[in-house]
Amino acid sequence: MYAYLARRLLSTVPVLLAVSLLVFSMLHLVPGDPVKLMLSEFQTSPEQIERLRAQLHFDEPLPNQFGRFLFGALQGDLGISIRTRRPVSAEIMDNLPSTLQLTLAGLLVAGVTGTTLGILAAVRHRTWADAALMLIALLGVSMPSFWLGLLFIFLFSLNLRWFPATGGGELRHLVLPALTLGLGASAILARLTRSSMLEVMRQEYITTARAKGVREFLVIARHALKNALIPMVTVFGLQFGQLMAGAVVIETVFSRPGIGRLIVDAILTKDFPLVQGIVLVVATSYVMVNLMVDMIYAYLDPRIRYNT
Amino acid sequence: MKLKIYLVLAMLVATTWLLGACGPSPAAEPTKAAGATSAPPVAAPVKGGAVTIGLDSEPPTMDPHASPSAVTFYISASMGESLLYLTADRQLKPWLAESWEVTDGGKTYTFKLRKDAKFQDGTALDAKAIKWNFDRIADPKYKAGSALTYLQGYVSADAVDDYTVRVNFKAGNAPFLTYVASPVLMFVSPTATQAQGDKVNQAPVMSGPYKIDEWVSKQQITLSRWDGYTRKTPYSDHDGAGYLDKVIWKFIPEPGTRMATFESGETQVVATIPAQDLARLSASKDYTIASKAWVGLPRIWALNVTLPPTDDLKVRQAINYGVDKDAIVNSIYKGIGTKAYAPLTMAMLDDPALRAFYPYDVNKAKQLLDQAGWNTVGADGIRTKGGKRLEVVLNSIDSGAGPDQINVLVQGQLRLIGMDVKLKAQARAPWYEDNYRCATNGPILFLRDGDWNGLNAFFSSALVGSNFNFACIKDAEIDKALEQGRAESDPVKRKALYLELEKKLLDQALTVPLVDELSVWALRANVSGLKFNGFTYPMINDLSMKK
Repeated sequence: MYAYLARRLLSTVPVLLAVSLLVFSMLHLVPGDPVKLMLSEFQTSPEQIERLRAQLHFDEPLPNQFGRFLFGALQGDLGISIRTRRPVSAEIMDNLPSTLQLTLAGLLVAGVTGTTLGILAAVRHRTWADAALMLIALLGVSMPSFWLGLLFIFLFSLNLRWFPATGGGELRHLVLPALTLGLGASAILARLTRSSMLEVMRQEYITTARAKGVREFLVIARHALKNALIPMVTVFGLQFGQLMAGAVVIETVFSRPGIGRLIVDAILTKDFPLVQGIVLVVATSYVMVNLMVDMIYAYLDPRIRYNT
Repeated sequence: MKLKIYLVLAMLVATTWLLGACGPSPAAEPTKAAGATSAPPVAAPVKGGAVTIGLDSEPPTMDPHASPSAVTFYISASMGESLLYLTADRQLKPWLAESWEVTDGGKTYTFKLRKDAKFQDGTALDAKAIKWNFDRIADPKYKAGSALTYLQGYVSADAVDDYTVRVNFKAGNAPFLTYVASPVLMFVSPTATQAQGDKVNQAPVMSGPYKIDEWVSKQQITLSRWDGYTRKTPYSDHDGAGYLDKVIWKFIPEPGTRMATFESGETQVVATIPAQDLARLSASKDYTIASKAWVGLPRIWALNVTLPPTDDLKVRQAINYGVDKDAIVNSIYKGIGTKAYAPLTMAMLDDPALRAFYPYDVNKAKQLLDQAGWNTVGADGIRTKGGKRLEVVLNSIDSGAGPDQINVLVQGQLRLIGMDVKLKAQARAPWYEDNYRCATNGPILFLRDGDWNGLNAFFSSALVGSNFNFACIKDAEIDKALEQGRAESDPVKRKALYLELEKKLLDQALTVPLVDELSVWALRANVSGLKFNGFTYPMINDLSMKK
């Protein structure tokens, strides 16, 4: 188990290196003069452009610039944001907790509602309840979160005044964004849980358990669910990345702080250091979540760690 | 089950409500184009309370000298003070400077300062502090924003005595007098700024009636009243700091959400109101609308003079005659803009001679195109010349620069004169790149500037490929006129120079002026006292709220 973990951990290093090279070169390969684009918002003279180019070391060869970037990143120094003149790490730390909070809350909503609905549908297989639940799930998948978010705002903020439409920090600020984010994802989880449960419940050991007189609830909870969970863990890990991406829209609709909005602003204003920093941090957390998924996987199914 | 039905019903209601809000609505009351706020006067403001203002974007930095962004100055205009004040009707008034003198052909400016001014940290706001601020902006090691443009040609500042400061320029610099009244050139405390390092971007220490409490990233900036402020701001109805204890500037980028927070009372004042919501808000007794025309260059189509067919004067003139601006203002702006006539907005320079250029005239446009040789009309209704179709490429941006519908409307209007407008819709970065390389027939954009010198960024030969000269015009006569305008310190002569220049720009049809835009704000009925300065930035010292 430990050897497997160590190998798995080590394999993330080249992944992260590749990611940082990709991020760095992508931004520099985009057509256009970055310095001009950064100054494009306001009136400038040609001297100002040259001055900024030198200040940013953009007049140096690309390998040097990448070296600077990598060396700084290893020390936790991601540079200074061009637009806000603050350290990139400070910008990220101001916004990352809010996005993580939203993602985790969304994951919780998705996990609870998704698995519950999925199990219910599987247990009531081929009844009207199954059909209805899957119809809701289909609607959930097709409803854009942007639209759902606005509906929630009009309903719960403007008309009922239960929750504020904007802001972050407190729990009441989290309710609507987490529901919006989670309900979309829960639909996918519900469908997956259903098919996974149906698959497992056809197995012989379930029939055996039933034959032995185990109560139906325990059959489902103890015997079926644990095995049905394996594919779901993978999807859960993938969902984490998707939810983080979905947070961009949710954060904009609900005016929450977060790295989703941070990166959109940074891309629009060509704030190179900030874009690089955020992508690096997001990629790293994505790699880490995948690592965790693999470990849980190995825990749930012992065969996996022997095979690799 | 009951709950689900309730939810479905509620969503239906919300949907209907939304659709209603988006659908066609009666035209808004025409709003005053220029001058002071249209909010009605209210008796005896109440002291205390907090007002939350919803903005559509977040400032990049609050350091006034570093920022290129108008949002910074929405907020900092009430945190700091400048040497002079530019009123809503463009009069210069004393503020920190009690009097001023222009000598040496506009190269030297001498300001006599008031003696009681202090920064919020207690540092004296004297000649030395002002010199330090100007040197800070001009320092090559400092990444200045708009402030550097406002100090173009700066040589030095001298503290003649404790309360007299003299600013020297390489050449005559008439716009400086307007720029020195801008929130861009407000001052930060030399002591606090040197001590706080990077933190100046988050919490600059200034000298105005409000000070910054806290900035929560992507969320809000909270200002609180600074009771140490005892002076009277030049625009205020009272001595000393504002009525409100706190003013919270909240960043709400999504327009639907922003309007929802306003109508639910989460915010009490809101900026950048979508045109389709304005009529509804104006009609309600619960709200008042305050508006002020933006200064600078209107929303304007810069016609690229280096690329066919807009390299032909007759084609450019035909476009000018062929665009129906009234239709744009009525159908898209619905009360948040008026028709534009010239490269400077009417709030900047208005003259019957400018209004006479290019009335909407389809026949005249067609005539001009005939004369230019585009006289065969193809089966698709598009004119041709020597087998070539009459096509122009409008460089359009998919976000950030305002209503896309204008592009589509212009496209439809010009089809009537036999011109095919292709829209090149793209993201911000390639949009700029095409403009810098003069690769399309031009973009539609605007420029905010408090001085006539704003024309320089659009039409100076030196700025083709690096700034807003997207008409790509290199014309010695225009360059000379721009220089003369910069150097002329006599306001009457200066105005005459810019009027001549505007006529020249219109003669050459380098642009299609489309819409003079308004900055429109909505206030809940119990909130009053929002004012604007000559740069169209909101001033909140008189803002107050009744319970």
